[in-house]
Amino acid sequence: MAQIELKALQKAWDDAVAVQDMNLTIQDGEFVAILGPSGCGKSTTLLMLAGLYLPTGGDILFDGTRVNEVEARHRNVGIVFQSYALYPNMSVLQNILFPTRSQQTPDAEKRAREMAEMVQINQLLERRPSQLSGGQQQRVALARALIKRPNLLLLDEPLSNLDATLRLTMRAEIRRITRDLGVTTILVTHDQLEATTMADRVVCMNAGRIEQIGRAEDLYLRPDTLFVAGFIGSPPMNLISLPHPLIEVPSIARTFGLRPEALRPAETGLPAQVTHFEPMGREVLTTVQTPLGLLRFLEAGTQPRWQVGDSLHLTHARDDAILFDGTGARIPNATALMTEQGYA
Amino acid sequence: MKATRQRFDAFLFLGPAVVLMLAFFVAPIVVNILVAFSDMNQTVRFEEFPTTKQFNKLGKLDPEAFWGIELRGSFYRALALTASFVLLTLIIFNVSFALILALTTTAVPERMGAVFRAIWLLPRMSPSVVYALLWLWVVDSAERGLLNQVWLLFASEPLNLRLDHPMAVIVVANGLIGASLGMIIFTSAIRSIPEHLFNAARVDGAGPLSIVRHVILPALRWPISYITIYQALALLVSFEYIFLIMGPARSTMTMAMLSYTKTLAPGIGGGQYAYGASIALILIVVGIAVALLMWRLINMKSLLQRPRIEVN
Repeated sequence: MAQIELKALQKAWDDAVAVQDMNLTIQDGEFVAILGPSGCGKSTTLLMLAGLYLPTGGDILFDGTRVNEVEARHRNVGIVFQSYALYPNMSVLQNILFPTRSQQTPDAEKRAREMAEMVQINQLLERRPSQLSGGQQQRVALARALIKRPNLLLLDEPLSNLDATLRLTMRAEIRRITRDLGVTTILVTHDQLEATTMADRVVCMNAGRIEQIGRAEDLYLRPDTLFVAGFIGSPPMNLISLPHPLIEVPSIARTFGLRPEALRPAETGLPAQVTHFEPMGREVLTTVQTPLGLLRFLEAGTQPRWQVGDSLHLTHARDDAILFDGTGARIPNATALMTEQGYA
Repeated sequence: MKATRQRFDAFLFLGPAVVLMLAFFVAPIVVNILVAFSDMNQTVRFEEFPTTKQFNKLGKLDPEAFWGIELRGSFYRALALTASFVLLTLIIFNVSFALILALTTTAVPERMGAVFRAIWLLPRMSPSVVYALLWLWVVDSAERGLLNQVWLLFASEPLNLRLDHPMAVIVVANGLIGASLGMIIFTSAIRSIPEHLFNAARVDGAGPLSIVRHVILPALRWPISYITIYQALALLVSFEYIFLIMGPARSTMTMAMLSYTKTLAPGIGGGQYAYGASIALILIVVGIAVALLMWRLINMKSLLQRPRIEVN
């Protein structure tokens, strides 16, 4: 277990910068998710942490010790890859034992069996990876990553290859195991649900830079940047370019954002016409055409209240609006309101 | 009606391939068998048929001898030379050296690796006569020989490798050119190993040798088996470099060389078609036996059926 620090970390290739000026401190035992779209530098960061890539700038510190040049095999990290990367020629038990080969761990096999029990694969120890399902393979990969009690556990899109139900189970399972072991964990993912449900803190990355670090609700309710606002949340936030005659805002605001659940039908307000609706179980997502363009709003209920072509009015609370300036940064403590006729 | 049509279609599609196979693979063997049991010589006529005359030249039945056949000295020698030529070339070069080439050229940066592999392919691209001529210059017993030019910097007597170490000369000459096939097959197999597997092994504490042993070699099981069988059969009947470098020397008269010199080599006892065919027939039988034995040993069937590597 260790405290991990990234200081002005940078990774550049001849023609491209993958990660730049990355500063992040992860507490001992903390579970942090690095979230971002593909190509944002999150996997590069993970490979640098694992010791598989050499940073081109900045430092990586494990418990205050600089480990930039320490090879992967001497870093004592565990890693679970998206493809699980199990050794196809070895049995499950041999796979789990593999990391202990170089360490001469006493009772390695006993530990391997404990690990297998923890991830609930003790019945499968003699099988080959090709004889396992995706979920089982992932449990093996997790046991293999944890057997040498790593300083740091790295999870690279570990749930992407699983079906939806299994993903739900494994999310809880991985969280339980990392909590029980108290291991510092970094999860890399493009799936916001994975990040927000599992992690203590989420690091949102875009184009090689950190956009925001915070708890899931911080990112959702108070996105620091336009990118975070658009990336976090499903269905996504309604974003409208400013200035617009129908929106009353401070003059520096350039983008107006409103979560779909903040919009609600009312007697008066922005006129809208229903173009599409999607029942989503507990809620119905309705898309409407308005003078501001297409907007989406969420209503509780299993039955759709509107039909395509229905006319209605939409309103929202002034405080729910989120405003961004020309650089894409959020304007703190700003409020705004969509009006019916225009404020001017 | 439909069944007839299906049969006709099958014949139509398979026909050309079947005809080619019959003409180029089966027919020569049949002809070879017929000739082997005849007395065909320079006149190219079937006179005595069938006769085991040719085989009697190679050995005679003897209840006292091992396996009941006493081999003629020259034939026994040819068998022994063939065995050592095939085994040495196969094990040292076509498999081990090819593996080393594949491992090293995939470990260095990609472009550099490609350059080295291209260099190793050059002899295969050049005409065999050119390659053989280069070897003749390298091992030339006079002072102008390339090897001797270096050797004489340290020693006083020039080397005569063709006389003193003939087997070494043909093994190295065949091996250096033969290793390139294995190199290419092994290289592509190594490249098909998912990158994640290497990363996982490195994180799991494996050093370079451990990665070779636990990640690369298991993935190369099938290619290694394939190269072993394929090259063993190829070497068994290979004679061109032996002939071009050594000529009809007794010291390197393998089965394939013997068969060639008895039939087609002009001026050095060619024209004994039936005799050569009988040797070739034995080579064919040995080849089939070797292939079947290796097939069984390597358990090729299961290797062909099982997925070789897991790619998600």
